[in-house]
Amino acid sequence: MRAIKERVYSRYLQKKGAARPLTEWSRMLKQLMSHEGKAEALDDMVVLDLSYANFAGIVTASFFAEAGAEVIKIEPPEGDPARVMSPYGVNVRGVGVPFLMEARNKRHISLDPAREEDRENIRKLAARADILIETYAPGEMDAWGLGYRQLREINPGLIYIAITPYGHYTKRAREDAGIPWTDLTSQAESGLAALIGDLADAPEPYNWPTRAGFQAAGYTSAVAAACGGLIASFFKRRTGEGQMVDIAAADAYTSCVGFPPTIGYIWKKPRPRYGTLDYGLCPYGFFKCQDGYVAIACFRDQDFRAAIKLLGLWKLEEEWRTLLDRITDDIDKVKELNEAVEKAVAKYTYQEISEKFADYSVKAARSKWRGGGLPVTTKMLTPREVLEQPHWQARNSFVKAEHPLYGVVTLPLTGKLSKTPLRVKWISAAVGEDNDYIFEKYGLTKKETSPA
Amino acid sequence: MEEDYFDFTAQLFNPADAEKKPEALKGIRVLDLSHMIFGPTAAKCLGQYGAEVIKVEVPYQGDYWRGGTYWGKFWKHSNPLWHYINHNKYFVAIDVKLPKGKELILKLAEQADVVIENFTSGTVEAWGIGYSQVSKINPKVIYASLSTYGQYGPFRYFPGWDLLAQGASGVLSVTGHPDTDKYFKIPDFFGDFFPGYFAAMLILMALNWRERTGEGQYLDVCQAEILMRTLSHFTYFGVTGKDLERTGNADPTMAPSGIFKTADGKFIALAVATDRQFQALCRAMDRPELAEDQRFARAFDRLQPEHAHELNDLLADWVKTRTAEDLLAWARKHRLAVARVMDDVDICQDPWRRERGSVVEFEDDMYKKLVLEGPIAMLSKTPGRIKWLTRPLGYHNRYVLKKFLGLKEEEIKALEKEGVIGNWDYRVGQRPPIYHDIENDPVFNYQGGEGH
Repeated sequence: MRAIKERVYSRYLQKKGAARPLTEWSRMLKQLMSHEGKAEALDDMVVLDLSYANFAGIVTASFFAEAGAEVIKIEPPEGDPARVMSPYGVNVRGVGVPFLMEARNKRHISLDPAREEDRENIRKLAARADILIETYAPGEMDAWGLGYRQLREINPGLIYIAITPYGHYTKRAREDAGIPWTDLTSQAESGLAALIGDLADAPEPYNWPTRAGFQAAGYTSAVAAACGGLIASFFKRRTGEGQMVDIAAADAYTSCVGFPPTIGYIWKKPRPRYGTLDYGLCPYGFFKCQDGYVAIACFRDQDFRAAIKLLGLWKLEEEWRTLLDRITDDIDKVKELNEAVEKAVAKYTYQEISEKFADYSVKAARSKWRGGGLPVTTKMLTPREVLEQPHWQARNSFVKAEHPLYGVVTLPLTGKLSKTPLRVKWISAAVGEDNDYIFEKYGLTKKETSPA
Repeated sequence: MEEDYFDFTAQLFNPADAEKKPEALKGIRVLDLSHMIFGPTAAKCLGQYGAEVIKVEVPYQGDYWRGGTYWGKFWKHSNPLWHYINHNKYFVAIDVKLPKGKELILKLAEQADVVIENFTSGTVEAWGIGYSQVSKINPKVIYASLSTYGQYGPFRYFPGWDLLAQGASGVLSVTGHPDTDKYFKIPDFFGDFFPGYFAAMLILMALNWRERTGEGQYLDVCQAEILMRTLSHFTYFGVTGKDLERTGNADPTMAPSGIFKTADGKFIALAVATDRQFQALCRAMDRPELAEDQRFARAFDRLQPEHAHELNDLLADWVKTRTAEDLLAWARKHRLAVARVMDDVDICQDPWRRERGSVVEFEDDMYKKLVLEGPIAMLSKTPGRIKWLTRPLGYHNRYVLKKFLGLKEEEIKALEKEGVIGNWDYRVGQRPPIYHDIENDPVFNYQGGEGH
């Protein structure tokens, strides 16, 4: 059994006879590796994506598209402004990078809900749709006669997903209805920015609240919206009933990690920014070694003992012995331990630390002494380095999709379901690229304002 | 006359009605074999919308996160942060390493619609409770294995968690200021929570598929891949051949954008996503000439680093002469994306969140009042809800084994004696609060009939 010859950290996999039950598992895993000829979980669903200048909406639609739904992206003939929201303005033939990345398995048609003459076509599509995603200001679709309360009349099974900064109900939703969505303001308002940044004694602006360097809020809202839509879809399959799903982007971070309100209630004071330290335990972070940054993270006492032994810091053991010692709020003490680890790590290369830790872990797993500890580590990689990893290549974690206009596009993909894996079938990103196909298929009326 | 839109939505989502509404996932049983945050979050999400979640822990040890509170601060002998991760669950403690324990777990798995585990790859298979074993007695099961690197590929046996996944996926390398040697991780174990919700999304896709076809399946849910899915940096690299570096507080997809300090020493985030928003900003700043400037008029030009930089400096100067309150009123008037940087206490006390139900003051039978985050998505007909907080280790042993497996009191006593099942030891995080009368607790000492 080949698997057992790999470096194995679990003592249960190293036990005598462990190979036998694993044979079937390995056979099953082989079947996971390809989506050839497999079914799609949601290929009986039609999803309309009316998101406008809002990546949370666009990404929600992507998840449905990866699972096989027919996703029709509806945008005005001049294009969704999300097309130009791209790092440093980098674009391929006018299409920005994030938009191109999410242009998977979608149909792009040009219709504008703000124009009276296009609304009948949108209504026709909504009558057939299972899910509609929209990100206009709360009340705007309603004023156009395309809101949940009108569309549910023509399609009681419709699941209507709205994503806006403050949602579609509450006093504030009304007052701040006009505030546009952005990922950065969502990060700030949902509690994320306040927690990232250097310690108070660092110079400005390094100690200011800091942005997470990717669309952390946007993707969180998207997963929330997709979860909500799928729960509603499950209910619809049982009852035939649709409903409305409301996502507030200002909830993004805190609705995901959940800690801020409870900490505010119990601690009664906000946490300061903690630089590269951790609120939970010490050490838990990446430390600078000779050729990069290496993770030192010890949760259990035995992991901690192993790590400091290997780093030549055994003298610290007595003072920091138990988990309770290492989750202190005494920041000066934490800095002390952190600095000791920093100094020790700086002497080694990543490879040296990684080998030491791995050897120890594998042996400890095999040992009868159960307190062996598993000091595991990894190296901080840049996206370019991630792309080069044989592990992700073996897993097909990145797809190269080709399009006649946009060339070969690299896309991250995940979702390995044995019978209905997520997949990228094509990319389509030009405004109105699929007008002919969709107008014909759904019997829409062609007019001059909606060029085919 | 048609009802006002926000009166309509207030009625549609009225939190006071939530408890009376149906639950979408009622009747779905989830066997939660997972621990820490990643797996438990996926199970929790399903539990909030009506699934019956049975969480299995090791007797007298329990989930490590029971003891993993921030800064060593416990609350009523529990980890206050654990309640968010594990509410609405049934807590049983069964030792899988004993043959009778394995048998009990297989019996529970036989009745389950969904099984979730997050041990190191292969461990559950070696224990005899993996998909290849469970699917034989329950072919319709949806079995989700959650891990940092996935179930196949050369790194599959490496243990991992939030921090390691952030490093290995590239997420860590993108946050911070470009001219420093500090890389900030996303705090609060975002690398566990976000993939946890993503896992719930994949499980919901599988549940939808099962509702259509009756088929169960196996899910290989890979934490690092899920984090990679949120980065446009890979596609950016594919297009430009360059890594998109850290960008400090500016969002490189929006110009101007940043987190700025106000005259009264507060922080606000401001971002301009579209050309129309930029024109509004120029009017609002009384600088109409900027909207005409060739460098700024269109997004792709405005996003060029030197142009974006110039605008950001301009904004920083504008913000520092005004108070946060003035800026927020100004933003509302001109429909600009401006948001306060909110901290733990702000979020806890925010009236908007309380009204919306995204922050909930919950009254629990055992722990009494706690403020915690509400469900991640608001559904009008089948809202998510909190039904009870966490419970001590093994609290529901009798309830689950009698009600679901039909065991008798004598059998349970025998299993306790043999150490197959058990509950808490002296350690904080496992045991009930001191004031709680556990001897006379009808659920803990469950005799039969209805409970909970």
